[in-house]
Amino acid sequence: MKGWDGLVSSALLGTDRRPVHFEELPEHIQERLGDGDLLDAAALATVYKRAGRTPLRDLEPMPAAAGEDRPLPRPVAIRRLAAMLGGFQTAALGEWLRAADERGWGVPPEHLPALADHARNRAEFRPLVIAAAGRRATWLADLNPEWKFLHAAESDDPKLWSHGNALQRRTWLRKTRAQDPAAALEALREVWPTESAATRAEFLALLAEGLSLTDEEFLEAALDDRAKDVRRGAARLLARIPGSRYGDRMTGRLWSHLVVSQGVLAVDLPKRVSASMERDGIDSQNPEGIGKRAWWFLQIVANTPLSVMDPAWPAMPVEGCAPEILQAAWTEAAVRERSRTWARELLTANASTGGRSAAELLRILPADEWVRAVTALKETIDLTELVGRLPVPWPASLASMILDQLAAAGTARGWARLASVAARAVPADVLDHPITREPTGEEDTWRRRLVETLIFRRELYEELS
Amino acid sequence: MGPWDVDQVLGLAPDPASAKAAQAQARPAKWPETGSSERAVWGLCLGGGTTEAVGRGRGSAQPYRTAVDPSGPAYKCSCPSRKVPCKHALGLMLLWAAGEVRSGDEPEWVKSWVDQRVARAERPERKPGEVADPLAAQQRASRRADRVSAGMAELASWLDDQVRQGLGGFDQRAYSELSRLAARMVDAQAPGVAGAVRRAAGVVGRGHGWPGELLEELSLIHLIVSAHARLADLPPSLADTVQSRIGWTVETARVQAEGEKVADDWLVLGRVIEPDDRLTVRRVWLRGATTGRLGLILNFAAAGRPLDPLPARPGEYVPGALSYYPGALPMRALLTQTAPRRPAPRPAGFTARQALASYVESVAADPWNERWPFVLQDVRPARYGDGWALVDESGDGLELLPGLDPLKLLAVSAGEPLTVAGEWNRAGFRPMTCWHVDRPVIL
Repeated sequence: MKGWDGLVSSALLGTDRRPVHFEELPEHIQERLGDGDLLDAAALATVYKRAGRTPLRDLEPMPAAAGEDRPLPRPVAIRRLAAMLGGFQTAALGEWLRAADERGWGVPPEHLPALADHARNRAEFRPLVIAAAGRRATWLADLNPEWKFLHAAESDDPKLWSHGNALQRRTWLRKTRAQDPAAALEALREVWPTESAATRAEFLALLAEGLSLTDEEFLEAALDDRAKDVRRGAARLLARIPGSRYGDRMTGRLWSHLVVSQGVLAVDLPKRVSASMERDGIDSQNPEGIGKRAWWFLQIVANTPLSVMDPAWPAMPVEGCAPEILQAAWTEAAVRERSRTWARELLTANASTGGRSAAELLRILPADEWVRAVTALKETIDLTELVGRLPVPWPASLASMILDQLAAAGTARGWARLASVAARAVPADVLDHPITREPTGEEDTWRRRLVETLIFRRELYEELS
Repeated sequence: MGPWDVDQVLGLAPDPASAKAAQAQARPAKWPETGSSERAVWGLCLGGGTTEAVGRGRGSAQPYRTAVDPSGPAYKCSCPSRKVPCKHALGLMLLWAAGEVRSGDEPEWVKSWVDQRVARAERPERKPGEVADPLAAQQRASRRADRVSAGMAELASWLDDQVRQGLGGFDQRAYSELSRLAARMVDAQAPGVAGAVRRAAGVVGRGHGWPGELLEELSLIHLIVSAHARLADLPPSLADTVQSRIGWTVETARVQAEGEKVADDWLVLGRVIEPDDRLTVRRVWLRGATTGRLGLILNFAAAGRPLDPLPARPGEYVPGALSYYPGALPMRALLTQTAPRRPAPRPAGFTARQALASYVESVAADPWNERWPFVLQDVRPARYGDGWALVDESGDGLELLPGLDPLKLLAVSAGEPLTVAGEWNRAGFRPMTCWHVDRPVIL
């Protein structure tokens, strides 16, 4: 506004030193000012300025996110989501998102910022939040650098592979691998020589999906990669391809250190690690608690195809090394090949599972065998330890068995850990278990927390139906 | 007395956890005895777990006695919870809402409680505006008027001195000088002016343009002072505005009795909560569905204490009458609700230009007016410097208040045109509520 700056400088220097020039002001103000002084003029000018404010121009609105929104669930379900984001039963948030997604519901967009913040440091949450964000995912990813992970939202755009950021490229490769393994391998082969070591290792790991003999040649070449992570990753993948040359090499090594004779497994531990063994990913450096030679042998057995070994072996006496070495190796092999036969044998023999939990063998078995296996194993293994490592939700039979036990347990302290595991692991169709209708008492016990959580989850599903 | 609906009941919950806990209470098995009358709903609630109680040999625990008078609503419960209403009262209301409570005769403990409440309500109140000792009150008022006049005179000469000597170098002495002045104005019983002086102190030294900002603030204080000097010559409503800017408050009883009354379905445009060290202030902005009148409900609470529940959620109608405080720009009002709140359609709104024009009208009536509510229609977010702006269909934009977290609003919009209700001040627009299609979203 003309004349305003003059008012300000007069006010700054003082009217004694710099008299005001009212004639510089707009006529409207002069008319109303009469014989007023500087402050009168400033008051008029202030209101004049405020009233004369005009809208901003030449702004570029954000482009709209393409696509359509899903319908929203009922208000009561939305309120539950808001309560969870507010800190109440937050542990059930993932379940809500998964259930809503499966039922085709969207998430009210005003909750997306809080969800994105929640997923920032929780990688397992990200796919759920990406699904919840729907068409808004990449739109929001550009708003806040901390939400970059939302860029992993799937897209068919092939440009993402050549021009996308690291996350978008990984997502593209994962998706392509799931649809057309050979095409993904081909795409990877093209860019392979120009990628950094870290990126090569990351991309290589994505080949685990849809692995077959088609990948063998590429992976064999990767065994000679400059980067150790890539070499190791390639060896791990090759060990999982049935009929690979890698498997043949391991089988050869097995037979030069193991002889089955007269019902005994006679072991002759390797004396050194050859260059070819090292190339196949055998780690020469033993971890603490195991001797060098036993460690080399363990790795050989663990990476040998189970098809050349006999499931009866775990029951046989061992000579030349501790039987636990073999048992741990077979556990590794059984987990790698997801072999039900071996898992069953090893669990029945109560075999040592080395660095792994018995639950990892258990989860290889069909779910309807879990109750029987758990009942047998809990004699020797801590029940919570065992079921706590099983994937959730549990099969209904296992969940009912555990809740039956808890229902009969009163409020004794020793059950608190199992109860807190069960509260989250019971599947949707067992949430109506009789324990939820028994009195829990007003006191804050594990029993009350368990029942509250089960009821909370039951209502969550009811509201989303 | 018909039962409420579940949403209404849950609207009474002091926090989400209470609403949840209440739902756990709302199971008939928990309530061996319930009943309702024209005046109240009551019940006995099995409280403390019977199992533990038996275990400790106490026999079964005493059930809680819970009663609710929905007309208040008012609550009574023998549980130790400090929350009002407690989960038992809410649970009972939920049962009642679900039709699980039959009518019956009030037991003695309910009857005596409700009787007491009725008696209290019927006790003859002082008539609005009536004062216990009119003479003493008059003396108090005239003493205060003298003090205010003295304070205004002091302020006027201080202001004159400042502009004569110059505000330059003010940034060194501003804080102490203005704080002292503000304290003097509090002594002079002119808290409104004291606040204005404190605001002026906050401007000093902030950014390059502070001398201009300071001049604006001081000139508007000067305007109050000079208006006070000729209060008798002003139109009565403008005189009321000046008085309220100085810090005279009008008693609520007088507002109820003499204030302008407007009945309407009031759309809750939104609310702004300003937490402070000592006092939490909440502004609830209303707009009449048929009259189009605007209204402001001010609530205060000591820091850390809860505010009164909102009469309705933003985006809902609350039917009732507003009694306006006097002034040239009647905005602040008291609400007398006459019917339960209910959902409202998405409101119609302004373009950016219309919105600014409405603000100009408000300033024409009350030059000190700082905040102004309006609804913007079909606006889209755009980046504006480091911050954001909302742009209407014609390309006109208004900036959002700097420093505001816009992510919720942005997430709802995703680049599409939105209806947004907010509060405007010179620094920018503060969104309060937006509509996701037709669903109001509290920002």
